[in-house]
Amino acid sequence: MPGRQRPVVMATGLTTGLAFAMSLAGCSGAPSTNDPVLKIGAIPDQNPEKLNRLYGSLSDELSESLDVDVRYVPVSNYAAAVSAFRSGSLDLVWFGGLTGVQARLQTPGARVLAQRDIDAKFTSVFIANGASGLRPITSADQLVQLKGRRLAFGSESSTSGRLMPQYFLGENGVTMGDLAGGGPGFSGSHDATIAVVQSGTYEVGALNEQVWRSNVDEGRVDPSKVAVIWRTPPYVDYHWVARPDLDERFGEGFTDRVQKALLSLTPSTERGALVLDLFGAESFIPAQNEDYNKIEAVGRQLGKVR
Amino acid sequence: MALQRRLKPAPVLVALAPALVVLPLGIVLLRDLHGGGVEQIGRFWLAALQPSLDPTLLKHQLAELQITALTALLAWSLSSLAGLLLGVLSSTTICSTLTGRRWPAVVLRRCLAPLRSIHELIWGLLLLQLFGLNGWVAVLAIVLPYSALLARVLADQLDQQELPALIALRCAGVPAVINLFTSLMPPVAAALRDHIGHRLDCALRSALLLGIFGLGGLGTELMLSLQSLRFRELWSGLWLMALLLALMNLVIRRLSARHGLLLLTLALPLVTLLWSHRLNHDLSLPRWIQGAPWPPWAQLRDGLTQAWVETPWLELVGRTLLITVLASGVAIGLPPLLRLIAPDDGPGRMLKAGWLLMRLLPPPLTALLLMLASKPTLAVAALALGLHHSGVMGLVLEDGLERVDGRHQQAMVALGAPRRSAWLFGVLTPASRRYLAYAAYRSDVILRDTAVVGLVGGAGLGWQLMEALSSFHWPQVGWLILVYAVLTLLGELASEQLQERA
Repeated sequence: MPGRQRPVVMATGLTTGLAFAMSLAGCSGAPSTNDPVLKIGAIPDQNPEKLNRLYGSLSDELSESLDVDVRYVPVSNYAAAVSAFRSGSLDLVWFGGLTGVQARLQTPGARVLAQRDIDAKFTSVFIANGASGLRPITSADQLVQLKGRRLAFGSESSTSGRLMPQYFLGENGVTMGDLAGGGPGFSGSHDATIAVVQSGTYEVGALNEQVWRSNVDEGRVDPSKVAVIWRTPPYVDYHWVARPDLDERFGEGFTDRVQKALLSLTPSTERGALVLDLFGAESFIPAQNEDYNKIEAVGRQLGKVR
Repeated sequence: MALQRRLKPAPVLVALAPALVVLPLGIVLLRDLHGGGVEQIGRFWLAALQPSLDPTLLKHQLAELQITALTALLAWSLSSLAGLLLGVLSSTTICSTLTGRRWPAVVLRRCLAPLRSIHELIWGLLLLQLFGLNGWVAVLAIVLPYSALLARVLADQLDQQELPALIALRCAGVPAVINLFTSLMPPVAAALRDHIGHRLDCALRSALLLGIFGLGGLGTELMLSLQSLRFRELWSGLWLMALLLALMNLVIRRLSARHGLLLLTLALPLVTLLWSHRLNHDLSLPRWIQGAPWPPWAQLRDGLTQAWVETPWLELVGRTLLITVLASGVAIGLPPLLRLIAPDDGPGRMLKAGWLLMRLLPPPLTALLLMLASKPTLAVAALALGLHHSGVMGLVLEDGLERVDGRHQQAMVALGAPRRSAWLFGVLTPASRRYLAYAAYRSDVILRDTAVVGLVGGAGLGWQLMEALSSFHWPQVGWLILVYAVLTLLGELASEQLQERA
């Protein structure tokens, strides 16, 4: 019997000792700095490697120009990004049109700081599989051709991959119930929309034109299988939104300084060029909350803003 | 006398019968199959052989993997401890021995049911609303349903034991507490150890899934890679996860053989707290985030009524149940069926590797792969879910088969029975009962998991819930969770009834 009990006794002793040592070490190793950290985040619409490079460089840039610690927190879900912003887990977020509106409505006082030059007139494209027999659409009222087709959106909260395409379909008499299967499918992302349309699983898909172009440029699209059939009219999309309490936490006028830092990114510096290139923009331009009123109205109409 | 007994199907038939759903599913899939996605699917599997070895990526993924592991370990140890305590408290045998009354245990048991009827993912997204992006959100999201589930398993085990020893000792005047330890604990301990060990594996996969839906760790990285179809980066993460799963299983096996499991669960919380410190992972005490104030009652009532009226419940519930039944059929029926086709050890090992792979691929990924090859139908959603869980069930079956004493089979073969029949009656049949008991729990899990395959053409309650959550439509979220809870409880009641009759 003692032979069987020994390992147990030893293990108990070891564990207790270890736990003690650890808790002691834990006490002495408590964080010493109380400097606030600016936590930046982004809705997930890029590959992680690019996101990490992009936000790594941007964090360095902002950290230098604002003289505060900046940390990038990855989030993989649109709704989670909105909640994280509301709860103060993220301070400055690169939102899409719809998610930005949702975030501001849930966080009174939050401020739109900037958008890219391309965001003021952003567009989505409808792409179709060659075998579907769908031809390019010359005027919006021809969207009725899409009735009874299998259609894929991207993520359920995406402005360019769902909200605005659904809005333009509705404006031209195509409700979601008119689609094959009684509703659209959701591929989860712009890239996945291209994949499911190119494969023929879905006949039509709607996505962010910028993502479509970069996929075409990188040769990731087979032009013999999938092509653009319609481009939506322009609308406003992505933007930077800051939490209302930044001035309080980082000092008077901090929010304005963040805005200035974003607006002053230029391709003339090495890091600026890298960041702007990864964002796919020439520069950031100022934007206000009111610019997104139309998106909010569409969001309400389609039940995505409550 | 014999005529008066009701005919009961042999357990082995019950285990095999669910595989019948493979037939209609197969027909639908064959009809909808297309070759358009071959290139992408090929790219995916090729990427498995040449995952990205970029050092910065690997370093990053390793750090994220540690967060996933830490979350899982902490959640597992806390839920094991809480589950043991709650299980003992909700056992009617223990309660009536100690207090002479049954009802406190029954009440507690019913109170725990809603906790376990909600998927950890939904817990995660709800807790995220309350506490923001804090490490404890993911931990708690796993702890809540897991401890309630363990409590149920333990209470079931305790209450199903034959009682003569208990009664005999009580009559002999042994004090109640000592009596319980002596007569109840030993027979329960082995089954419980298996279950707790198995839950670590589940906790790891849950932690990964929570990450996929935005709560940090390796899952977040995997989801971002998947969304941008970077399969090589995706596979680096998947292989790392596979290594972790294998390592954990090894540790659990070693420890449970040496009675170290309880010690591990006790020591883990302290170790993980320190570990999180090194990883810069926020495990500080979660702070309640003040949300918007509750609307006045009249407005709330109107909101709830409107949400109830505008939701097509019949269709949603119908689709969800159909997916659950089909997916459970695949998950429960496929492993014994395939094993019956290939009862030898060689193919058996290959099957086991297949199950490990199925279990490794998160359901959203399986769904996307299937969708590249077939039109989006309910069958695809069901198959994606079914295949993932068949991985889990396949491993449970293999584990059960390994424990079966081979003498019956040898005897049958020696008497001239065909090899396959000998395997069916000599090996699979004795292993079936345990397998089926486990299958009942698994179909509960599958019902809750329908929340994660929303991808496929607006399929059921799960999709609606994701849509409501992303629209921050709280009245509808509330109803959906309630309906989910009711369905889970009904499912449980049904499986209890079936088990009692069997």
